[in-house]
Amino acid sequence: MTDTPKMICPDCGIEMNYHAEKLDYTAALIDPDAVDPDLDGILEEVHTCPGCGTIGTRRSQ
Amino acid sequence: MMTTRPLFIPIILGTPRQGRMSEDVATFMQDEVTKREGIETTLIDIRTLSFPLTDAGEAIKDSEFSATMMRADALILVVPEYNHGYPGLLKHVLDTNLKEYIHKAVGLCGVSAGGFGGTRVIQNLLPVMRELGLVTIFWDGNFSNARNLFDTAGQLLDPAYLKRTDKFLKELVWMAKVLRYGRENIPR
Repeated sequence: MTDTPKMICPDCGIEMNYHAEKLDYTAALIDPDAVDPDLDGILEEVHTCPGCGTIGTRRSQ
Repeated sequence: MMTTRPLFIPIILGTPRQGRMSEDVATFMQDEVTKREGIETTLIDIRTLSFPLTDAGEAIKDSEFSATMMRADALILVVPEYNHGYPGLLKHVLDTNLKEYIHKAVGLCGVSAGGFGGTRVIQNLLPVMRELGLVTIFWDGNFSNARNLFDTAGQLLDPAYLKRTDKFLKELVWMAKVLRYGRENIPR
């Protein structure tokens, strides 16, 4: 997880904390080409801002 | 401040049945945990425990098993699905402790002969875990078609399980660290 580039909070402008990965099966229905064949879904990173609590997600890199 | 002492994450093999397919899964999980720095583990085979059947619950506590649960920061349960449920002996074993589980993480690995990866046994275990005070994670281990997953030497045949297990363990370790911090630092 530490090698992943930090997300920047859109509200505070500070680095967010990357604390989880979650499989998104619904997104897989919309974008089947992006499905990870080993996981059967699309892996999303979950980031939270330590300043304001804003939660951000993006596809796992 | 986070402590640096290793996490202790025992693995419980949840069936005594002869010919069990989940033994290879438990050994695989033990190998995967052992590869990671900062984690200690042990494999607890419920077949080797000797809890009496004439009583149940904390009345039949085993001091060694309880000490292991007390030391644990998280648990991994490897559980076959028998008739959509969990083995009764596993419940008998788990029920012998309570305070030892409070605010500790648990990851569930379901094992099935069919294609659903033990999803039904995992669903049936969730309320039990909650009542024991354990905190479940949202990644599971789903081991389908168990008799074809490993060769005769117990080697994994489907490499996709390595990636899935990596995600499962990362989440379990994160939750174990958070809960240890909470247990040791955050008063209520």
